[in-house]
Formats: sequence, structure tokens, C-alpha cells
Amino acid sequence: METTETMESILSLANVSWRHQVRDFSTWKPWAKRDGAGIHSINLKINSGTIIGLVGPNGAGKTTLMRAICGLYECDGFNKSAETRRACIGYMPEQVRWEGRITVSQAITSISLMRNSTTDVENLIRTVGLSSKSNQLLDNLSQGMRQRLSLACALIGSPKMIVMDEPLNGLDPLAQRAFSNLLKNLAKKGVAIVISSHQVGDLESLVDEVALLHRGQLLINGTLEEIRKSLNLDDDSGIVEMICSATGIEPHDISLDLSDDGMLPFRPLGGEEE
Amino acid sequence: MNTLSLGMHIMKERLTAGRMMVIWPLLAMFILFSSWGLSDPKVNLPASIVIDSAYDVMFVATAFIIFSATLGAVLIAFDGISRDRLSGVLEIKLSQPIARSKFARALLLGHWGAIFIPVMVLNIASILVIWYRLDDLPSTEEVFIHTLGTGLLLLWYTSIQLIASSWAKDLGASIAVGLGVWMVFTLLWLVLTTVVAGLSGVGVDDLNSAEYIQIDAIMDLFSPNGVYHHLLEIPLDDVDRGMSPLYVCIAAILWSIVPVYLFTRRIERLHP
Repeated sequence: METTETMESILSLANVSWRHQVRDFSTWKPWAKRDGAGIHSINLKINSGTIIGLVGPNGAGKTTLMRAICGLYECDGFNKSAETRRACIGYMPEQVRWEGRITVSQAITSISLMRNSTTDVENLIRTVGLSSKSNQLLDNLSQGMRQRLSLACALIGSPKMIVMDEPLNGLDPLAQRAFSNLLKNLAKKGVAIVISSHQVGDLESLVDEVALLHRGQLLINGTLEEIRKSLNLDDDSGIVEMICSATGIEPHDISLDLSDDGMLPFRPLGGEEE
Repeated sequence: MNTLSLGMHIMKERLTAGRMMVIWPLLAMFILFSSWGLSDPKVNLPASIVIDSAYDVMFVATAFIIFSATLGAVLIAFDGISRDRLSGVLEIKLSQPIARSKFARALLLGHWGAIFIPVMVLNIASILVIWYRLDDLPSTEEVFIHTLGTGLLLLWYTSIQLIASSWAKDLGASIAVGLGVWMVFTLLWLVLTTVVAGLSGVGVDDLNSAEYIQIDAIMDLFSPNGVYHHLLEIPLDDVDRGMSPLYVCIAAILWSIVPVYLFTRRIERLHP
């Protein structure tokens, strides 16, 4: 991997905030909305050739941050406009259920038209291992194949940065390995990758840096070593220990109870709710 | 350029959708059979409607176009956005660099074309049927106005349905809004017109009175089906409901601009 000094900054975030608008139904104002969960004052620098893992408990704001990075929400604080970001970022959302009576290659062509790209569709299909399914209807694809199709869409137009939300879900172990290799190769070519995954074992071996989110805030980010040092953790401690240490949750006390505000889906048993 | 290409792509996708297996026969039955029946020289129509030319047949047959083609537009466009939203594909589409306004135009073009092409194919076939039965053809001007009116009517319904599809969080809500709008304009507008006439002090016991016809003509400007009929009445010499063609054209332009503008604004602000 290149050193941080020599790497080109692809995107920087300074105090990026976004709140979802949720319905606040009342008899007299059934259309009323109020601020809901979101992300708050996120500062992050994304360099070329770096794989950043976004980690955090459910509801921490990982998907919201990814959508903001990809220009899906209008928020300030980026050094590039939403249009510019959309042009240079390939986005792979979580668990897209492709369906319809069009073929895989037609679906990719449709997205490449929206990128105004002249990508070699067949080559892209080969890259993600869908050659045998090129002319298959979307309705007939398995979820793993749909994941590959989403990946193909993220790769259209050779983006400088790829953002992936839970990309390993639905992939068989061999495909997961191939997927990791592909990401490493892309990073070697200078593509910046932001990835979120709850399969932290795979993530630890893949990422160069980790950004830990909790309740919409970026608690800590850096290489695994840097974070271990900051949190005074052992050398063999992993991402789960980092999350627990940074959020104050004890690993043996984790429950699935939801908090009332929906922003902290689990809380320490017997402890005070944050 | 990519707006047109994308629109054609969406149109092709919609034209090959499974629901077209239902829409094609329905349209064929309504448009072709009505033209066949109405062009029978012995046909005896109610309300003293007299048919003595090919365009007269086309004009009366538009009642069936209004009933079937507008429903077809609703059925084609109801999941134009809501299905992509539910499946997650919308997130991928909205993250692409294409300008949202261009994306909106491509969606409109694609969905409108998917209903306009079948309707026009059947309209051409119905002209041939009328020619065979009546040995008369409509003039170029009449065909132009009929085609323009039908195209605009389908555009209005498509844009309204796509707005509903972008609002709806699920497919049921989308089709409920679309069918609701369709029912109001297609089935309930006469009731609404009668209520407005009654409230205005116009007697509703005689629907052929001059006052009622005037109210009916004004109310028609507020309904896509009504504006469509106003447009089609322009070449007819024996039909005059006292509405200036200028007002009809203004209403047609407003019906074309307002829903399309609202839809474009909606897409520009749309979140996945």
C-alpha cells in the first residue's frame, strides 16, 4: 500500500451532517415531519488506493453516511459537489433485489446509459463472474447473482471510488474470497473503497483503515493498529472489541433490545441506557 | 442523447413486461371492436348521434380509448418508481451522474411510449377497419389532431401516475392513487359536473340545455378526458359547446406542463 503522504485525496468530509425526516403524524397536520436519526459532524478523508471499513452497531448511520457520500442526500461539507461525486463514485447498495423481464446485460446497459459510459458490458459481466448468466432474465437470478450484478453496476465507467454496503451478504465463501481479491486488486490500481460489513472477520483482513460509527457520529478512525493503540487494546483484539471499547458496551452484556429513539439498537444489560 | 437512449431502453423494458399480455388484448378489444361496430352503416346510436364520416367513427370510438388506454397508462406506470424503490434498484439509479431532470424525462418518455405505441398501432388498424366498412378515410388534419390528442391524454395520465408512484412507499398505494384518479376523471366526472351545475343554479333535469352544456364544457377543461374531447371536437363542424379553441389549447398546454413539471421536481428531490 502507498503511504498516506503519497496518496491522492479522493474525497474529504468536514462536518457532514444529515437528518432523516420522519413522519410526525397529528390530526391537524398529518403531513408534518420532524428530524429523525442521521449523521452528525462527520470528518473523514478518503485517499486513493485505500480500503476503509465502516463499522458500528445497527442504526449507527453507516448506510446514511454512504448515501451522503454517493450524493443521494443534499448535504454540505464535502470538497466535491453531489454531481461530481456521483460521476466518480460507483455505489453498491445493500441487498438489491433485481427483478423484471430484462436480461443481465440489458440491466447493466441501462445503468451505463445513466453514467453516459461506453463500458464493455461483456467484459464487466466476465469480471464479476456472470458470463453464463449474461442473457438470463433478472427474475431468474439467485441473490448471490444479484449481488454480483450490483457489483458490476458499481464498476461501470471505472470509478475512482467505490462505496459498498454489506457487499458480502448472499455470496458463497468462494465468491466472498474472489470478491475480496477483486477489491484488493482495485485498491492496488488506486481505487478508493468504502465498505461496510457485519462480517468483521473478513473485513479485518481486507481493510486498510476502519471508521467506527455510533449514534450517527464518527467515534474514531485510522488503521487497525492506530485504533488499538488509541483504545489501549491488545494486539489480537478485533473490530468487535474496538466497537465495544469505543461505545462502552461490554461484549458479554450485548442484548438486542432497541432503545426508544431507535438510534442505539443495543444497550448493555443491567447498565444505564445511553 | 442519453435521455432518449434511456427512455427507449425503459420503453423496451415496459413493452416486454408480462402485463402487456393483458393490456394488448384489452386495447385491441376496445379500440378495434368499437371501430368495427361504430362503422356499421346500420348502427343506431343513442342521444341522436349521427355517424356519417370516418372521423365521426373515430370521435365516438374515443370513448373506448378513454376507458382502456388511460387504464393501460395507469397499469404500465404504477410501479415505474415504487418497484425500484422497494427492490433497492432506485438507490443505484439515483446514484448515477445523469441529471435528475433528464432521468425524469427518460422515465416519462419510456412509460408514455410503452402505452402510446400499442394504442397508435391499434388506431392505425382501426382506421383500416373504418375504411373497409365505410369506404371513407379521415383527412390528414383529422388524423393529426386525433393522434396529438391521444398522445397528450396518455402523457397526462402517465405523468400523474408516475408522480403517484414516486410518492407511494408500496405498490398498493401507488395503484390505489392511480386508479382513484382514473376513476374520478373517467367515471365520476359527470357526477361532479352535475353537482357543480346544480350548485350554480343550472337545472340538471335536462342535460341538453344550453346552460348545462356550457357548464359541462367549462368543467371539461379541468379534466384530462374533457380536454381530450375538446381537442377532438375542433375539426367537427356540427359540434359546438361554446368553448373557444384558444381556451382548449391553453388547458392542453397547462395539462402538459404542470404534471410534467411536478414530476420532474419530485424526481429532483427524491430520496431512495
